[in-house]
Amino acid sequence: MRFSDETLMAYADGELDPQERAAIEEAMRDDPAIANAVANHRALRADVAAAFAGILDEPVPARLQPQVPAPAPVLSLDAARAERTAAKARRTWSWPEWGALAAMLVVGVLAGKALPGGAPAIAGNGGQVVAQGELASALDRQVGGQGNAKVKVGVSFAARDGDYCRTFVMGTSAGLACRAGGQWKIPVLSETAPEAGGGYRQAGSALPAAVLDAVDERIAGKPLDAAGEEAARARGWQAGR
Amino acid sequence: MLADEIAALLPRMRRFARALTFHREDADDVVQIAMERALGRSEQWEPGTRLDSWLFRIIKNAWIDEVRSRTRRAELFAPEEEGEHVGDDTAQAHQQRLAVQKAISLLSEEHRLVVGLVLVDGLPYKEAAEVLEIPIGTLTSRLARARDALQQLLADPTTRTR
Repeated sequence: MRFSDETLMAYADGELDPQERAAIEEAMRDDPAIANAVANHRALRADVAAAFAGILDEPVPARLQPQVPAPAPVLSLDAARAERTAAKARRTWSWPEWGALAAMLVVGVLAGKALPGGAPAIAGNGGQVVAQGELASALDRQVGGQGNAKVKVGVSFAARDGDYCRTFVMGTSAGLACRAGGQWKIPVLSETAPEAGGGYRQAGSALPAAVLDAVDERIAGKPLDAAGEEAARARGWQAGR
Repeated sequence: MLADEIAALLPRMRRFARALTFHREDADDVVQIAMERALGRSEQWEPGTRLDSWLFRIIKNAWIDEVRSRTRRAELFAPEEEGEHVGDDTAQAHQQRLAVQKAISLLSEEHRLVVGLVLVDGLPYKEAAEVLEIPIGTLTSRLARARDALQQLLADPTTRTR
């Protein structure tokens, strides 16, 4: 054979320039062995492509889409797998996730929810759940993803109705607070998932699904960057309508 | 927006990852890791260069760094996956696709990477060599060896029936 197998492969893959192509096409006419080798390369390429083509038509799982805020990072497959399994099991016995309506019903329970060694952080007020104490002051003051031992404010964004909203993690609770009427109202409060084994993710990096859903429902555009948070704080989180 | 352009490439990213690790959840975990890295360091992508090559390189590295040692080889062909895609398509074509996927899963990692880039995704040699950060001559000879290995696996009746 006048051509190396690599050259014939490159021909079958469409990698050769016109001159080389012409030389091989001429050789293929004269030598069935060359034609056969090229045909084998093409057949394998077609078979491999066909074996994976269907994946392109599969719906892309939502967890892979670029989203805001990002889901808890997958840092290792074993951990991700353990988390998936744990999440399924947890569903049946974990604390309920409170949506907006349910949150109002549990005000009585939460009114006394206090930070370790601190004053109550959440209070029922005229049928609304609002932040007070250290939670309220953290929501007022924290910017740029800083945080303290008790409260860590996560993403901040302008909601579709113009109000500013911020996610937070406080102890084992996580929620969303939206600024309205000079108060931080809390439409959603949920328990964070317990750390599964080895502490593979940073505290506060994973918000419960109920909180993420609440963010998705409200967010207009993108979350605020550090400068945006500073500017909003300077305005006292007054809606920029 | 770059995130939109990246999102548009997700089907190809998933397909490439599936060539590396056939288990669907593992492959999607690799893609998720790669997405987080890509979006987290999008400033490292140079406009004017191919976004797909950059993303494939991130997938390759994510797979190497995080997951390859954990691939559940024993579960590669779990019944739930074998049952998918059988629809209107003939059983024979389905068997053929499974045999090819299985043969690729039995290749060495190096060979799976070149096969995934050139034969599964259809990248030109030049781009595939850039993804793997190897000279094009190395890519070509590696691809030729990978094809030989794949042909042998496919010709081996135990690959098809195991």
